[in-house]
Amino acid sequence: MYELEKLFNRIIQRVNINLRELGFDVTPFVEGHVNLEQMNKFYAFYGISSDIPLDLTFTHSSLAGSYFLGKCRVTNSLLYKSDIRGDELKRKGHNFQYKNFSIDLITNELIDIETSALVKTLVHNYSHDPETAERFFIKDTLSLDYANIHGAPSDGCFLGPFATVDLTTIRDCVIGEYSYIQAGEISHLNVKPGTIWVNSPGHFNFLYQYPADKLPHYIHLPPYKSPSGLLIDFIEDRKKTFNRVFDSTSQEETIEVPKTTSLDRYAVVLPGTTIGENVLIAQRAYLENSYLGKGANAQENCFIINSRLEGCNVTAHGAKIIEADLETNVFIGFNSFLYGKPDNRLKIGTGCIIMPHTIIDLHEPLSIPSDMLVWGLITNQKELEANSISLEDFSKIDTSLTQGGLHFEGNGAAFVQAFQHRIRHILEVNGAFFHEHNYNIKGHAQNNRKLSLNSIQPFLFGDMQGVYPDITILP
Amino acid sequence: MKNITVKDLMVPISEYAKVPLGTTLFEATLVLEQAQEAYDHSKYQHRAILVLDENGKVVGKISQLRLLKALETGKSNTEEIDQLIQFKFGEAYIEEQREKIRLDSKLLSEEALATASMRKVETFMQQLTPGEYVNESCSLDMAIHKLVAGTHLSLLVTRNEEIIGILRMSDVFAATFHAMKKRNLPATPHKEKNDTSAPPKKSGDDTPAPKMKD
Repeated sequence: MYELEKLFNRIIQRVNINLRELGFDVTPFVEGHVNLEQMNKFYAFYGISSDIPLDLTFTHSSLAGSYFLGKCRVTNSLLYKSDIRGDELKRKGHNFQYKNFSIDLITNELIDIETSALVKTLVHNYSHDPETAERFFIKDTLSLDYANIHGAPSDGCFLGPFATVDLTTIRDCVIGEYSYIQAGEISHLNVKPGTIWVNSPGHFNFLYQYPADKLPHYIHLPPYKSPSGLLIDFIEDRKKTFNRVFDSTSQEETIEVPKTTSLDRYAVVLPGTTIGENVLIAQRAYLENSYLGKGANAQENCFIINSRLEGCNVTAHGAKIIEADLETNVFIGFNSFLYGKPDNRLKIGTGCIIMPHTIIDLHEPLSIPSDMLVWGLITNQKELEANSISLEDFSKIDTSLTQGGLHFEGNGAAFVQAFQHRIRHILEVNGAFFHEHNYNIKGHAQNNRKLSLNSIQPFLFGDMQGVYPDITILP
Repeated sequence: MKNITVKDLMVPISEYAKVPLGTTLFEATLVLEQAQEAYDHSKYQHRAILVLDENGKVVGKISQLRLLKALETGKSNTEEIDQLIQFKFGEAYIEEQREKIRLDSKLLSEEALATASMRKVETFMQQLTPGEYVNESCSLDMAIHKLVAGTHLSLLVTRNEEIIGILRMSDVFAATFHAMKKRNLPATPHKEKNDTSAPPKKSGDDTPAPKMKD
């Protein structure tokens, strides 16, 4: 334990040094929450696939319950039940295009985690920073439960629970709980909880902030305690089901799926669930009594319960869909919480974009028409009207829009096109458009079927308790 | 009239309402009230307050309009605006939102009044501009020009580098029209419909006027 405590204290100090200018101390948010005693109770595991380069190096780190895929290096770090998913990293010999720069890649891209503590965090995608095209770094960073570090190199940062940083390089920043940031590059920012910010300088700027008095009901980060709120309770209530999946050493077939579909061995599938073709079900996804039509997906930490997804639906990392009916091509952004009830179901029309970190918590039935952009906190029809707009009307914005707590400036059409382009890209890489006569459009749904898993263990006793031996894994 | 100079009409600075930097809006209005009560040289009351720095130098001016504006903008520097700045919104958009907040705010609520009353004078005083100064020996013509051109309600009267008084628009107005009245100018006849007659030629005015048609 001694070595693990030393390691963790050093990480906390590194993060605090980086955040000193913001006057932010992370100590109160880990004391009483991150339990080092737990770190020797869980094995770590990694994926092996012929399609994805295998190159893992673990040095002086604790990896409890974490998952690794691709090329990753972890040094002097503590990763607790985190997913480091390197299946979208850039490849040697490929060309990375960034604006007018055409960057030739001379090595496979590496996820490089150094002196960081990641708690139940997902790391995915690839570095979008042209300055560090072959190295997706996460350094001197602390992230808490269900944070997403998505294509976002990070140096000296704190991410609160359910915070997402997407395609953005962050330096010396605090990202409050349930905030979503996609802004290219930021530094020295203290982002308050519940901030949804999508900024493309010169094109558009989208900002919504949750009412400060409403957000704590869903997620709250009190000092010297664990995060609390409905989102945490919701996950905790289903935790035991996951324990059964992770405790089992053999892969049991829980449900039969088409051969073009990938169902991860560490996903939970409960009775009443039907899964169509070209569907991707990632690890730590939870499906219960639901239908997923052709090309739908459920990414890490997603929950889909008593719902129907008609096809080509993106359920981004951490999104939760309960008691809902989604027509085709509906996009549900990161960590969105669509909380219908048996008597108050949610219906979403085709082509809708539900912005990342949207909460729809219903006490009356609600129907969202087709092709709408939806954001923020919605509990009834009136709030839907305030926090949504048709994609057609949004595309007409050429200066600005202020509506329902939303501040938007710039070109609405550029914003809609950027999202639609990205949604199509996500469906493509996930294999939603695959058909047997065109292998060029294979995606994760097809490739992940060829994935096998190995596990590694930490020291169980002594000074090194909870720390893993230094390990290098190569093909 | 021609012989009247700025010095003849100005209010000496000693009689004017003055407050130091750091004074609150409410304290400043009390000082103005006291100055108004003490001033009995004219029926036109003081309507402005001068703001002095630590050396006693005049650094700003607060008119009644400024005081009302300070009430209105009391909420403009809200967290919401700070967030828009932090998240890189453009100047035009931020100004639009500021204006919206101003219009939405309830000026006379207890909370708004309490907030505004605590504002420091330096946050809403009018900064002085070069066109607001006039020398004590200047003619009234020059002073009127400065008041009109700069749309000022008053000018600061200087002697060398020192400010010695305030020239108020109300006093200039009164003096000008008092002089006009003294000349016994005929009142302009009410212009009837279809009346093509030109206005009567003013006394002392050499500008040729069109002659009346026969």
